Amino acid sequence: MEITHRVENDLLIIAIAGRLDAATAPIADETINKTLAENTKRLLFDLSALEYLSSGGLRVILGAAKEIRRREGKVALTGLTQYVYEIFEVSGFTSMIPIKDTVEEGLKDLAS
Amino acid sequence: MVSHKYSFELKNDLSELETLCQHLNKFGQATGLSEACITDINICLDELFTNIVSYGFVDDLEHVVRFAINLEDCVLKLNIEDDGIPFNPIEQKDPEIPADLIDVRIGGLGIHIVRKLMDNFRYKRERGKNKMTLKKFI
Repeated sequence: MEITHRVENDLLIIAIAGRLDAATAPIADETINKTLAENTKRLLFDLSALEYLSSGGLRVILGAAKEIRRREGKVALTGLTQYVYEIFEVSGFTSMIPIKDTVEEGLKDLAS
Repeated sequence: MVSHKYSFELKNDLSELETLCQHLNKFGQATGLSEACITDINICLDELFTNIVSYGFVDDLEHVVRFAINLEDCVLKLNIEDDGIPFNPIEQKDPEIPADLIDVRIGGLGIHIVRKLMDNFRYKRERGKNKMTLKKFI
């Protein structure tokens, strides 16, 4: 599992690659929390290289999304493979977080 | 009639989740089941194994969790057996999914996912062991 991030126009993009499961969730959680600066209000998760996601990993993404919403900010997801989408869908979260096909569409959504 | 049997064991350590994935890939190659189907099996066994490892044992000893997969025609049967404390996942209620993200309580999603992806889910406690059986019609 690898997490990288970059900031574009005041907007944080976090890319998660590899396996995000109960084994890798604690380190992912710590890394993402460190990445979320106090003033971060717009966050895009790029999941295009995420190969595997279980509920343990889903919690990490939801935790960060909740924190941004608590700050009255905006969150979006992009690049979900069919399988990762399925996990969000069966858990009931596809209606709560905007899901976009590409990073560009995600950035546009968050900028509006 | 097509019949495939595959069994394996994992130690009670979350690092074994990767081994679980490798076993299922082998099973997938042997049976020719679709990647989507193997992934569904993987996620369900992952969720149940993660629960067992996280909450099932009150000592610090090494335990073994046993898995058996049986494919007969279009019925896939998965058995999981552990010697942890009694835990009946069937009794767990699905988490309520609220309309807004801010109200989401993070937890209990694993068993919910298993129920959604499998067609049948049973549990019994027998001779000091938790025995779960999952079925999926493919």
